[in-house]
Amino acid sequence: MMDTVFKILQLVAFLAVVFLLVHKIVPWIVVRAGRKLGFRMRMTPVWAKRIARFKTIRRGYYSFLIITTLFAASFFSELILNNKALAVHYNGKTSFPAVKHWVGSILFFLDIPTFEKGTDFGQAQESDVDYRFFKKCCGNPDELLTRVADKEKELKLLKKELREMGTPDEDWSESELEDYKDTQFFISSLDKEIEGIRENHRIFKEGRAWVIMPLYPYSPYEHLDVKHPPISPSLSHPFGTDDAGKDVLTILFYGFRISLLFALVVVTLGNSIGIVVGGIMGYFGGWTDIIIQRIIEIYGSMPFFYVIMIIASITKPTFLLLVVLLVLLRAWIGITNYIRGEFYREKARDYVQAAIGIGASDWKVILKHILPNSLVPVITFTPFEIVGYVAALVSLDYLGFGLPVGTPSWGVLLKQGFEYIKTYPHLIIVPFAAEAFTLFCVVMIGEAVREAFDPKVFSRLR
Amino acid sequence: MHGMTTYFIRRLLLIPLTFICITFMVYTVLRVVPGGPIEQAVEQIKRAQMQESGAGASATLTGDLQIPQEAMDELKKYYRLDKPIPVGYASWLFGIMTLDFGKSYIRGAPVVEVIVNRFPISIYFGLISYFATWLVCVPLGVSKAIKHKSMYDLGTSIIVFLGYSIPGFIACLVLMMLFATDALGMSIFPLGGFRSDNWEQLGFFAKVVDQLHHTIIPVIGFLIGGFAGMTILMKNSLLDNMGADYVRTAFAKGLSERRVIFIHALRNSLIPITASIGHALGLLFAGSFLIETTCNIPGMGLLGYQSVLQRDYPIIMATVVFGVIIRLTGNIISDVIWALIDPRIRFGT
Repeated sequence: MMDTVFKILQLVAFLAVVFLLVHKIVPWIVVRAGRKLGFRMRMTPVWAKRIARFKTIRRGYYSFLIITTLFAASFFSELILNNKALAVHYNGKTSFPAVKHWVGSILFFLDIPTFEKGTDFGQAQESDVDYRFFKKCCGNPDELLTRVADKEKELKLLKKELREMGTPDEDWSESELEDYKDTQFFISSLDKEIEGIRENHRIFKEGRAWVIMPLYPYSPYEHLDVKHPPISPSLSHPFGTDDAGKDVLTILFYGFRISLLFALVVVTLGNSIGIVVGGIMGYFGGWTDIIIQRIIEIYGSMPFFYVIMIIASITKPTFLLLVVLLVLLRAWIGITNYIRGEFYREKARDYVQAAIGIGASDWKVILKHILPNSLVPVITFTPFEIVGYVAALVSLDYLGFGLPVGTPSWGVLLKQGFEYIKTYPHLIIVPFAAEAFTLFCVVMIGEAVREAFDPKVFSRLR
Repeated sequence: MHGMTTYFIRRLLLIPLTFICITFMVYTVLRVVPGGPIEQAVEQIKRAQMQESGAGASATLTGDLQIPQEAMDELKKYYRLDKPIPVGYASWLFGIMTLDFGKSYIRGAPVVEVIVNRFPISIYFGLISYFATWLVCVPLGVSKAIKHKSMYDLGTSIIVFLGYSIPGFIACLVLMMLFATDALGMSIFPLGGFRSDNWEQLGFFAKVVDQLHHTIIPVIGFLIGGFAGMTILMKNSLLDNMGADYVRTAFAKGLSERRVIFIHALRNSLIPITASIGHALGLLFAGSFLIETTCNIPGMGLLGYQSVLQRDYPIIMATVVFGVIIRLTGNIISDVIWALIDPRIRFGT
């Protein structure tokens, strides 16, 4: 019990540090560095006013703080929720598998091995180290001796067998001789094993082995050794496991990161394309505008979700391909129309005409004069678009056309919840709550941003 | 009116072009990417041949089982994939004109027959959901506008935001989990399906009850899809009108607030909502894959989903055709309705 409370306190402290990092330290550094490099680093009065207005809408501002902090924290998932140790030391050998795992996932283009052979860390198996068991041994080395007792019992049995066989002589048959040799071999290897465990025990006892585990020592890439997965929530797994024996809490966190990251990338790319295309349409007008408008009209009436389902079902998409599909088929269209409208309106304004009049180049007019004044729709729509693409990813995963199998995902959890709807409701409730909470916060941000950037004042008589 | 006529003529002329572009794209995608019905059939034949050669594990290891060329041609012909893409597409398009969508690979029945069975079910849910959305969103939006910035407005806003952040199919899942299983001690609603299995044997009244019983959860799912957008649209539209000069005049005449809001302002602010029916149709089509799969309703969405899984190309194409047509006509219907009920609107000028 105390242990759990302590862990929660640690988590809170960690989140506080991330909060300070994201909202205080990094902005401070950026401003400082910017000034050093000779930028003014001061907001224009319009922007300052907008941001001040945003901060006065408290539900939106707090949602913004919560979501950004959680999102930044989720980039440390491998250090908080992992079945690998942050640091492990055994008999003079030190390793940092979780840290490597973390670096490898942030710098995804590097291939950093995290594998450590179990036998190198005093464990029986050739495969990866079982760090949770390692930790148990650190706390209570005598744990190992229970295994010795078992082995010794086995050894005694074998020795008795050997004695009963007697000593080999000429009239033993081939098979009897074989049996005898086998038993001898078993005994010697068992002896060695027991010796190994005792050595192991000594190392733990003398404190020549230690391990630092992450706060929550499970990983979404690990199939737990449980009898009949899924299992319902319990103390050791507060949200239970899924039907492959993966811990749901970890899937939730890793899934949060991947969903938001996915939506952010799609929205950023879509907005970039939309700004370029919409800007061209609105600025140059004429035939360029008409032709692109027709193309958009055709494109926009495509049942894009179905087309993505078709393509995804056949090609088994990766993260990147799915992003490209959503960007090309959908994400650029909506914002293009808005930017086109903004450019049309701004171009007719006097300041733009003046700039054109004194002979500024098209690029200069577009980038320097019109663009900064037409970004309001981009900013006000972004949160709602993020909601849409998180939901799209959840939907695609739910239908089985989403990210590759094995990726931690809310949609896959919901799909399993659908299959086990009568027996394991936690597989529906947990991802539902996570999804609803996250998107609710993002919607609040969106509402506040819209209110701050594009305030509507309704006049009423009564 | 001149500009309007050319606008609608242009829109109508664009329909065939849009239709052809999109179906051609999907057709090309289906033909180009590997893993189609031919590959699947070849796999099956290979497996069958292996089994024929009995325990001939050596044959499987070499893996050199060749399908004779004639058999391949036969297969391609059967699946109508024997011609190059443009020719194949042209013949498919020609078939569509005469309502010949081909035969379903899996079901063996003509595609038209399959769809005729499914389409009414989707329409049924689409219409009920649309009217349900009206019934919920218009009163809510109006009351929110009247009590703008009050506690009531803030409280209902939270419900609206929640509705926006929960996709309809997840709402269906949660509702089914709560009310269609024994989670709360009793199951009030059935666990998916369009009707009970013994629907045909029921009396008239029981039939209606049974149908409604199966309708409620999916309709709530569909409702959530358009709920937030509609409510906010209604509210903002009414608030816009409340600030308009004619409302000021109405007040100045000494009309009661009730009369001003419900007779003058509300009628004008319903225009954008009414016009959204066309777009709502398109939205319903997109949402139906998820909700029909979740609630096990044998409509177009479930059909589309299954045919994607089964690589049933004729049905996939037919579903795309219906999706595109619904969207296109929906958009035009919206524009027409808008132009009809609001004489101020001028498109294309």
